[in-house]
Amino acid sequence: MTNARVPHWRAWLAVAAGGLAGTELRYGLGLAFPETVGAMPWTTLAINVTGSFVLAALTTVWMARPQTAFWLRAGLGPGFLGSFTTFSAVVFSSDQLSRAGEHPVWIAYLGLSLLLGLGGAAGGWRTGRLLTDRLQGDRAGTAP
Amino acid sequence: MGAVLVGVFGMAGALLRFAVDSWFAHREGLRTAVSPSGRLRHWPWATLTVNVTGCLIIGLSIGITGRLGLAPEWQTAVATGLAGGLTTFSSWTTATVRLLSESRFSAAALNIGANLAAGFAAAAVGIALAS
Repeated sequence: MTNARVPHWRAWLAVAAGGLAGTELRYGLGLAFPETVGAMPWTTLAINVTGSFVLAALTTVWMARPQTAFWLRAGLGPGFLGSFTTFSAVVFSSDQLSRAGEHPVWIAYLGLSLLLGLGGAAGGWRTGRLLTDRLQGDRAGTAP
Repeated sequence: MGAVLVGVFGMAGALLRFAVDSWFAHREGLRTAVSPSGRLRHWPWATLTVNVTGCLIIGLSIGITGRLGLAPEWQTAVATGLAGGLTTFSSWTTATVRLLSESRFSAAALNIGANLAAGFAAAAVGIALAS
């Protein structure tokens, strides 16, 4: 009973690998497309919107296919995409922008993060649904 | 050196987040086992916990590393690596969309509001404590 619900070591290993890759990709994109102090953090915004779309799409696919290996879901979801996207940087940048008196910038940043982030997740959700519907439709179609 | 440090700290943040996720999932599992009526429904507590903690850490990181006389790459490792890896934006938006898809509109609004309000407060506390 003690360890029944503790994830398998394979899941922890996948989360570690995914977390490393996701963090490095976010860090690398920040180096390739540096954000200027006092301006809109476009790189973080793009990362968070993309990550929201992909995670929502994967989540709906996995809900339809619960037989997907848990370590794979853990490594890609909480591991890779969880670390690739970031909440603290959004809050911290907004805080710094507001302290610098850049009110239109932080309000726009927060508004766009919410709007595009939720929009991305909603789009990913729909895309995942369409994908699983198509997969299941194909399977039904080929079945005798 | 800087990139390795960020990666290791990011990995630590991801593992910590996964541990918090698993702990909350375990508790929810126990509760639904106790009350099968389904009155206690899922709400993303784990994401709120890691996001608020990460905002506190990123606030602290700015002042602490300077005060301890650490090289700037340590600040990047803690802010971009640990706080960035611990917090998550995609789970937050995906969970909100999931709540909306279940027509749980006030739960979705609460998820957005609680993360933002507690996140900004935690970052401000971190900055104030470290400066």
